[in-house]
Amino acid sequence: MNRRDFFKLLGFGGAATLTGCSSQAPEGLIPYLVPVEEIIPGQATWYATICRECPAGCGMLVKTLEGRAVKVEGNPDHPVNRGRLCGRGQAALQGLYNPDRIRQPLLKDASGQFKPLSWHDAEGWLAVRLKELRAHRQEIVWLTPHLTGALDQLIDRWLRAFGSQRRLRYEPFAYEAIKAANKLLFGLEAIPTYDLQSSQLIFSFGSDFLDTWISPVMYSREFAAMRTCEAGHMGRFIFIGPRRSLTAANADRWVSVSPGSEGIMAAGMVRVIIAEGIDRGVPKGEIERIKDLVDRYTPHLISQTTGVTPADLEGLARLFAKADPGLALSGGAAESGRYATATVAAVNLLNYVTGNIGRTVRFSPLSSLNRLSSHRDLVALIQAMNDGEISALFLSEVNPVFSLPRSAGFEQALDKVPLVVSCGSFMDETTAKATLVLPTHTPLESWGDDESWEGLYGLMQPAMEPVFGTKPLGDLMLSLAKRSSNSRAAAFTEESFYEVLRNRWRKLHQRVRPETEFETFWSEALQRGGVFQETHPRRISLNLGGLAKAFQGLQALARPDNLTLLLYPSINHFDGRGANRPWLQELPDPLTQLTWDSWLEIHPEDAQRLAISEGDLLKVQSPYDEIELPAHLSAGVRRGTVAAPVGQGHTAYGRYADPHNPNAVGFGEKRRGGNPFALLPFEPEAGSGGLLLSTPVTLTNTGVKYPLASVSGSARQHDRGIAQAISPAQLRPGEPKPNTQHPTPEARQMYPPHEHPVHRWGMAIDLNACTGCSACVVACYAENNIPVVGKEQVAMGREMSWIRIERFEEGPADRPGTRFIPMLCQHCDNAPCEPVCPVYATLHNSEGLNIQVYNRCVGTRYCSNNCPYKVRRFNWFTYPWPEPLHLQLNPDVTVRESGVMEKCTFCVQRITAGKAKAKDEGRPIRDGEIEPACAQTCPTNAIVFGDLKDPTSAVSRLSHNPRRYRVLEHLNTQPAITYLKKIIPANGEVSSLEFRGTGSTHNELNT
Amino acid sequence: MNGRAVGVVGHFDQLDRFLAAIRELRASGLDNLRVASPVPHHEIDEALGRRESPVRVFALVGGIVGAIFGLGLTINTSIGYPHITGGKPIVSMPAFIVIAFELTILFGAIGTLLGLLVNARFPRLHIGPAFHPRFCRDQFGLFVFCAPDEIESTVQILRHAGAAEVRQVDGDVEV
Amino acid sequence: MADYKLTYGKIDRDLLKTMEAPGRTWYILLAIAIALVALGGFAFSRQIRYGMGVWGLTHPTMWAIDITNFVFWVGIAHSGTLISAVLFLFRVRWRASIYRAAEAVTVFALMTAALFPIIHLGRPWYVYWLLPYPQVGGLWPNFRSPLIWDVFAVLTYMLVSMVFFFTGLVPDLAVVRDQSRGWRRRLYGFLAQGWQGTDRQWRHYTSAYLFLAALATPLVISVHSVVSWDFAMSMVPGWHSTIFAPYFVAGAIHSGLAMVITLLIPLRRTFRLDLYLTQTHLENLAKLIVLTGLIVGYSYATEYFIAWYSANDFEWETFRYRALGDYAWGFWIMIVFNSLVPLLFFIKKIRTSTAWLLTISLLINVGMWFERFIIIVTSLARDYDPYTWGLYRPTWVDISITAGSFGWFFLWFLLFAKLLPVISIVEVKEQLPPPMMGEAGSGTQKAEGEEEAVR
Repeated sequence: MNRRDFFKLLGFGGAATLTGCSSQAPEGLIPYLVPVEEIIPGQATWYATICRECPAGCGMLVKTLEGRAVKVEGNPDHPVNRGRLCGRGQAALQGLYNPDRIRQPLLKDASGQFKPLSWHDAEGWLAVRLKELRAHRQEIVWLTPHLTGALDQLIDRWLRAFGSQRRLRYEPFAYEAIKAANKLLFGLEAIPTYDLQSSQLIFSFGSDFLDTWISPVMYSREFAAMRTCEAGHMGRFIFIGPRRSLTAANADRWVSVSPGSEGIMAAGMVRVIIAEGIDRGVPKGEIERIKDLVDRYTPHLISQTTGVTPADLEGLARLFAKADPGLALSGGAAESGRYATATVAAVNLLNYVTGNIGRTVRFSPLSSLNRLSSHRDLVALIQAMNDGEISALFLSEVNPVFSLPRSAGFEQALDKVPLVVSCGSFMDETTAKATLVLPTHTPLESWGDDESWEGLYGLMQPAMEPVFGTKPLGDLMLSLAKRSSNSRAAAFTEESFYEVLRNRWRKLHQRVRPETEFETFWSEALQRGGVFQETHPRRISLNLGGLAKAFQGLQALARPDNLTLLLYPSINHFDGRGANRPWLQELPDPLTQLTWDSWLEIHPEDAQRLAISEGDLLKVQSPYDEIELPAHLSAGVRRGTVAAPVGQGHTAYGRYADPHNPNAVGFGEKRRGGNPFALLPFEPEAGSGGLLLSTPVTLTNTGVKYPLASVSGSARQHDRGIAQAISPAQLRPGEPKPNTQHPTPEARQMYPPHEHPVHRWGMAIDLNACTGCSACVVACYAENNIPVVGKEQVAMGREMSWIRIERFEEGPADRPGTRFIPMLCQHCDNAPCEPVCPVYATLHNSEGLNIQVYNRCVGTRYCSNNCPYKVRRFNWFTYPWPEPLHLQLNPDVTVRESGVMEKCTFCVQRITAGKAKAKDEGRPIRDGEIEPACAQTCPTNAIVFGDLKDPTSAVSRLSHNPRRYRVLEHLNTQPAITYLKKIIPANGEVSSLEFRGTGSTHNELNT
Repeated sequence: MNGRAVGVVGHFDQLDRFLAAIRELRASGLDNLRVASPVPHHEIDEALGRRESPVRVFALVGGIVGAIFGLGLTINTSIGYPHITGGKPIVSMPAFIVIAFELTILFGAIGTLLGLLVNARFPRLHIGPAFHPRFCRDQFGLFVFCAPDEIESTVQILRHAGAAEVRQVDGDVEV
Repeated sequence: MADYKLTYGKIDRDLLKTMEAPGRTWYILLAIAIALVALGGFAFSRQIRYGMGVWGLTHPTMWAIDITNFVFWVGIAHSGTLISAVLFLFRVRWRASIYRAAEAVTVFALMTAALFPIIHLGRPWYVYWLLPYPQVGGLWPNFRSPLIWDVFAVLTYMLVSMVFFFTGLVPDLAVVRDQSRGWRRRLYGFLAQGWQGTDRQWRHYTSAYLFLAALATPLVISVHSVVSWDFAMSMVPGWHSTIFAPYFVAGAIHSGLAMVITLLIPLRRTFRLDLYLTQTHLENLAKLIVLTGLIVGYSYATEYFIAWYSANDFEWETFRYRALGDYAWGFWIMIVFNSLVPLLFFIKKIRTSTAWLLTISLLINVGMWFERFIIIVTSLARDYDPYTWGLYRPTWVDISITAGSFGWFFLWFLLFAKLLPVISIVEVKEQLPPPMMGEAGSGTQKAEGEEEAVR
């Protein structure tokens, strides 16, 4: 984009702010902390809302400039994410500005082609149908994603008005087994609060709480806090499951067990604990019953099934019993296999016998996810559709055609429904089957509210004027109800959904803060992003009958014979809704380092047995369907198990998700892996009615070589000390602290060091806190206008990311440990890139920044050759920003043209803004006030930025931490980034919960 | 040369005869000679008693100017924009010496070229009648300036010295 | 050259023959050369249109055969100066009849090399920013950058070589002038600048020529040292090495000599110059190649020794990778062709056989090209951070532009072969004992007979 376009953009922004409003009046938009009348060009305005990229319901702040949303950040006031966001949250903007958004209503004509029509005609057409339906008492069904609050209520109300009530809140990952097991054991069909932070030890039975499970940002924060090495000890984490997920990669130990045997592992541990009488606070009466139940699960049986030796099992059990408190989680494979309910029940029991229920597992507040429909409900709906009971199906932002097993036959069932209306933003697989498509606002353009957990009432407000001529779903339903006028519909007196929302909040106001004026309450809520209440603890007790019932599932546990396929939600694309966000496509999967694709992870030994090598295109056959996936060899899956991420393999959903989309040109490689959802069995799990995420499969090698776009050169460090680690023992005071693998004699300077008169910006990155989630990478893309280059170019190594998460494998090849290290420009004092530039396009400024002058760069690329960290990126082409994606561009950052070198700037635009702010307020800059985009969004606060000249700043203190080291320190480049070594307990130490740490370091980090 | 010169040109096939002729002429007081030859021979210069060429001075001066200019350029421009690169000092002599060296050579060469042009009076596009193409091929030419009364004696001397051909011309070999 | 049948007149006739109207082969070769240039030009136009990405270059190998070609052609240039200047200072007599062609190689090679610093830029249209002049706000280039040293070294080298080349030509041009007519006479007359071979002209001329030679000699050493510092000044393992300057200079002369032989042999054949380009000349060149080949081989060995002796993991891995990694084939081409094959010249039979000379010199050309490729690519492909290791694969653009550069070079050389005396007439004459009494006759008559022809 050249300068002229940029000014056009500014123009657009100005216009957007001036032009009046449609459904919602701008005076209704209460900016975060800034009164609305102060829209100053160049002056950012922040709006608080809720992230709807996944059901977790994190609080979000939207930064708008001249009426354009340009960046999203976590809402510091929101208890779920405390100001942090994951990569998918950061990419919300690319939903808003997605070039493939549907721009006007579409009606399918006889030929099956969509024809655009006006809103008036569309609503008119639909109103007529609705009248008929109501007249003939025919059933209407609403299929929405996880919804809470006003819109949720409105839909129910609306359905009642048309004499129907069937209503599904559909999420592919609905945690049925957790709800079912809790129902059986504690009589509460609920998803409880898990307190990771105050646990001494976490056993995760397949729960990927750092990837996608329930509320990953929240759990990441708590996990990091639990792992901080405070004076006494550091929390321990052991992962038990068949696949090394990102979560497992962060564990002290990965106990690999076959899928479906997690349950008996837990049961076996319970048995040991009971047998050895090291349980905590279990009433005598219950002990015996529990003993009987778990008696069957002898260490011997378990070692047969899982390969975990009896000694090992007993060790684990004792360790868990010793933890005070500990926490056992169940998810992923464990919670979506044949014996899911029983497995979760066993894990609950493990928590129960060690006294964790009520301590680290609390039934207050409960997650609103317990209101999700189960897979069984979906199957029932499909049955009803096939039986012709359903006359009209309304869909909103759900894509069951993609995310339901093909064997469930949802796609065929749709044909049996006379009227299918899809209200959403994208032409996904499901919408493509609809009769009428009504494009609705994206969450960033809509009013709404969200109650992710009991007591957490989040408010959503439009951050900007609608990008296209879309309508808010709420308003749409109101007007439909009115148009198809009938007595009941008359009940809809509200002018707009905005009013519906406020009415709901009036009630809330009465309940939580009657003393204040409603308007003040309302505007405060808008500013803070909601109202957040404490909840009262619930007393619950174990239902032994239910327990016994649950355990029946655990009786017949067969060992899977042939290969078992495990599906897991992709950390980038979740259930597939992230697949049309280019940032997320280009973001490498943290573990496989692959981009723009789906793949099948297979253990090297299995691969060898089946004569499969990296990148072979495989035919994957389950009893239900078959798809093609490229093979990725990884010791991260157990032998006999293969794993695949879901979310890719779209056949619609726009240019980024669907390689056959006519606009997908320029992204190279047409082929992408298939959609693994198709392979799954449709029958729900017996106990919970949940979706089974695993199935036996057979693989056939098509012999076709398939190009996988990996961003990782070598998976091994070759002993170069890039990502270093230290053991708790070495951290004991007095222990020698090995500095780097390449020790350098006291850095000898050839020349006197140069002065940094006022500031010396620096960064500290704690590898012990970094989980590798890659949120920082997406944040950097969003903040710095980093282009997306497409699969072909990524495969050539031309991705443009300024910060990358390097993944290295350590230890034995068959069971490697994983280390992540964020790598970005080190802003060296003696930067090797600077003196080689013939035209002064890169140089060192007075604040210690290594600055890159794009306009001056002629593109010799010598700087990149001479950069030992290889963090410089070259614009091989001028990359496109398909409209309206270019509206997201940050006007504070230059958009680079072809032939220019670029790299991390420490977000110099934020530094400048911070300095200006401090100057205006006539005060020195506060430590932590200036945060680069990466540090700002890091869920675990692993990245700390600040002024090294200020000895009291967090970054200065951390740069003297005993775990400190600098990458390739022996080169004497004097980087401004200090890394803190990851703390990896030696095998012996994993089982010891205590060690004398150095203390105090992370208290600073996490305050 | 000053005005129109009058003189006699002798063509010689052999160097020794040619040199002998020169010596004889000079002995007989006709010192205003100009010679042309297909190849350079120091004997000729000796016979004519020419000084060493001053081109060397041009080369030396050029070189010195180049060195000074090189250092001045690099040091001043760096001080003008004191950009820190790679933690190196603003005035990084080791780097600047490389530039200075190259400029020394460049200016030295330019000086030499100038020296040649100035001293040998290059370029000249007009060629005088005294010149004969064979001077560039296989004959040695000897041009004698002389007053009209000396012409006869000069011709005699040349013929006697063994000139293959003797011509009387108006105009210098050069000019 | 002690061939007494030669006379000044015969030398003129023989050597001017080379400038007679060209035959069909010449036109065919010219056509091929132009075609290659056109191909390269087209590839470059794609680069301008779409961006540097049309090359196979990538992260981390941001340089590959673009810079390989630059170093290769600069290297080719060096032998010319060695032969014309250094051997001149050492008063090596056999230099006389080969230095003209060698010097032409120098000039044309530099004209080719100078293209690559421009082509390899991400924004070639801003190449003038590398020139030393006060730019926006009085900002000058960064004189600490080896690339700026390059600008100075290569441009100086090009200017001085051209001056040296032209100065050497002037007396010959006068000969050509005097023996041609029509436009040629006017053209060469102009080029000869009124050369008449007078004592004054000769006196200053010889002195100037001597000083140019004296200046060119340190220059040629410095130029390839500076080129080598493009690498040695960086901190890339496999580049950051103090041996680079002498190692590159030797390599440059090695490749240059090979190129000269490669070109002299066909010249000798087509123009029937056996009298002037004798077996001795080629043999002497071959002997020089043995010397440079040994130096190059020694440098390879030293690099490995230091990599091992320094016990520096990074360095050692780079060299292990060169010999055994993805580009090992190129490495072994380099070792065998550059330091082993030339040793065959120890055998007199081989160094005196035209066929062998031609083959081996061609192999050395290939080997030296790969030397640069290996040094550049393998070092970048595996530097400090293993995560960023990556491979380089050329695209059609890389290859076309490389081919274009060869076309460009040979285009100029073909024109040279027909438009200028490929052997210095005057210097060959100088090698003859000057005509003395008793041998006048023949030369004179022939000369007269010819004058008719000329007039």
